[in-house]
Amino acid sequence: MKRVLSGALLVLVLSSHDMFLKMDGYFLRPNTENTIKLFNGTYETSENVIARNRMLDVSLVGNGKRIVVDSTQWYERDNITHLRFQSGSEGTWVAGVSTKPRNIALAAKDFNHYLEHDGVLDMLTWRTENNALEDDAVERYSKHVKTIFQVGDALSMDWKTVLDYPLEFVPLENPYDIHPGHALPVQLLFGGKPLANQLVYVGHEVTASEHSGHGHSHADGTDHSHEHGTTEEADHQHADIEQLRTDDHGIIRIAIAAKGIWYLRTIYLVHSQEEGLTHESNWATLTFAVGDGHVHEHSHGESGIPSYVYWIASLLLVIGLFFWFNRKK
Amino acid sequence: MFKKPICILVVLLLIPLWLSAHGVSAGDQQILDQGGLLAYLWVGAKHMVTGYDHILFLVGVIFFLKGFNDIIKFITVFTIGHSITLIGATFLGIQTNEHLVDAVIGLSVLYKGFENLGGFERVFKISSPNLLGMVFSFGLIHGLGLSTRLQSFAMSETNIFAKIVSFNVGVELGQVAALVPIIFVINRWRAWKSYDAFSKAVNSYLVIAGMGLAVFQLLQFYSLI
Repeated sequence: MKRVLSGALLVLVLSSHDMFLKMDGYFLRPNTENTIKLFNGTYETSENVIARNRMLDVSLVGNGKRIVVDSTQWYERDNITHLRFQSGSEGTWVAGVSTKPRNIALAAKDFNHYLEHDGVLDMLTWRTENNALEDDAVERYSKHVKTIFQVGDALSMDWKTVLDYPLEFVPLENPYDIHPGHALPVQLLFGGKPLANQLVYVGHEVTASEHSGHGHSHADGTDHSHEHGTTEEADHQHADIEQLRTDDHGIIRIAIAAKGIWYLRTIYLVHSQEEGLTHESNWATLTFAVGDGHVHEHSHGESGIPSYVYWIASLLLVIGLFFWFNRKK
Repeated sequence: MFKKPICILVVLLLIPLWLSAHGVSAGDQQILDQGGLLAYLWVGAKHMVTGYDHILFLVGVIFFLKGFNDIIKFITVFTIGHSITLIGATFLGIQTNEHLVDAVIGLSVLYKGFENLGGFERVFKISSPNLLGMVFSFGLIHGLGLSTRLQSFAMSETNIFAKIVSFNVGVELGQVAALVPIIFVINRWRAWKSYDAFSKAVNSYLVIAGMGLAVFQLLQFYSLI
C-alpha cells in the first residue's frame, strides 16, 4: 500500500512534467498583496509558462466565496507564470487552476519513457503484460492544480471546497489545523467521485528555517543528521517522494512527519475509445504547508487554571465554609 | 467530632485530583490521532470527569434529590439537553466562542448553588423556576461547551458521526463515574448532624466557584488575562 521511492526511480519521478501552484509563504497576513506561482515542469523547476488561453479556470476560494481571477493579474517571469492577488480576510483559502485538454502524439519508446519517468506505473505494467510496449500513442491530457494557504490565524471551511475539476485532491481535514505527527486524509476525486486504487506521489520540502538542525526522521523511518555550518545546509532543501495508493474511498493518509511544505501529484491515465486518440489523462497536484497546527485554547487543564490548583483551592474553601457554617449554628 | 465528615470531604474532592493528573491536554490530540472510536469515548469521559464546571453543576442538581428515580430523571434530562447540542453543533460545524460558553456554564453553577440556598425565595421573594426545564436548558449550554471542546481537535471527516457519538457516550460514562461517589457522600452525610453546615458550605461554594469561573472566562474573552 505504501512505500518510499528511492534511488533511480526517485530521480525519474522528480523529473516529471507536472504543474504546481506554489507560494513563497503559505501563511499570509490579511489584506496584503501576494503572489502565487504556477510551475510547469517539476516541483523544483518551472520549464515553461502557461498561456492564459490554456487556462480553463482560475479560482480563489475564501470566506465562502469563489472568485474567478482576472487574467490580467497574471504575468510571466523566468519561465514561471505568476498570479498577483490580494490575500483578503482571515481564513483558510484555496486557489486552483485547470487547463484545457491538449493532444500529444508519442512514439512507443517515448511513451514508455514518459510512463516510467512520470510514475504512471499501472499503465506501463499493463503495456508490458499485454505486449503493447511497441504501440505508439496519442494522448489527450489536461492538468488541474490546487494550493491551500492560510491567511491570518482564524481557520475557515474553504479548504474543503470542491472546485469541480475533472481530477482533484480534496483534503478531509484542514492542513492548517493539524501538526506534525498527524495523518492527514486526502481524497482524490475523478468526475466528482472517489477514485480508488490510484497511485499518488507525496513530497515534502524541508527548508532550513524549519530544520531542527539535529537530524530528522524520514517517512521510511530512517534517521540522519546533517553537518552544521556548511553552505549546503543554509538553503538546504530536499524531497522524499512517498508512493501511496488510494483506498476504496479514494483516500490516502499522509503521515505528516514534519512541518514544511507538502505536495501531492497523480496522473490518471486511461485508454481512450475516441477516434484519433489512444489514451486520455488528467493530472492533479495539491500543495499546502503544515505548521504547528491551530493553537487551541483548552479551558480545562491546558490553559487557564490548572485542575489541581482549582481542586486544592476548592477543598480548602469548602472545608473553611463548612467550619464557618457549623460554628455559626 | 468532625473527623469522619471531613475525611469523606477530603477524599471526595481529591478524586478529581487523581483524575486531573491525566489532564485534558494536547496529548488528547495524539490519542485521537492514533486511536479509533474508543479514543473518542476515552477523551469524552476524561473531559467530563476533569471538566469541573460540568461536575459542579451536576452536584448542584442532585444535591437535594433523595430518590434514585429522581436522580435518574434529572440526569437523563441533562443528558438529552447536552447531547442535542453536542451532536448537532459538532456535526453541523457550528462553533461558538468557548470563553462565552464557559462563562454561561459558570453562571449555571452559580444559579444552582443560589437556588439550593433558597436564594429565589429569600432575595426575590419568588419560588424557583421549574428545575427540570432549567436543567434541560443548561444541558443545552453545557452541550455547546462540550461541542466547542470536541471541535477544537483536528478530526478527519471519516466516520464523523460515529466519532461525535463516541465522544458523547464517553461524556455520559464520565458523568456516571463522577456522580456515583458524589451521590454516595451526599447521602451518607444526610444522616449526620453536620449535614446542614455541609449543605450550606457546598452550595455557597457553588455560588463562589460559579461566579469565579464566569468572571475568569469573561476576562479571557476580553483578553484581560
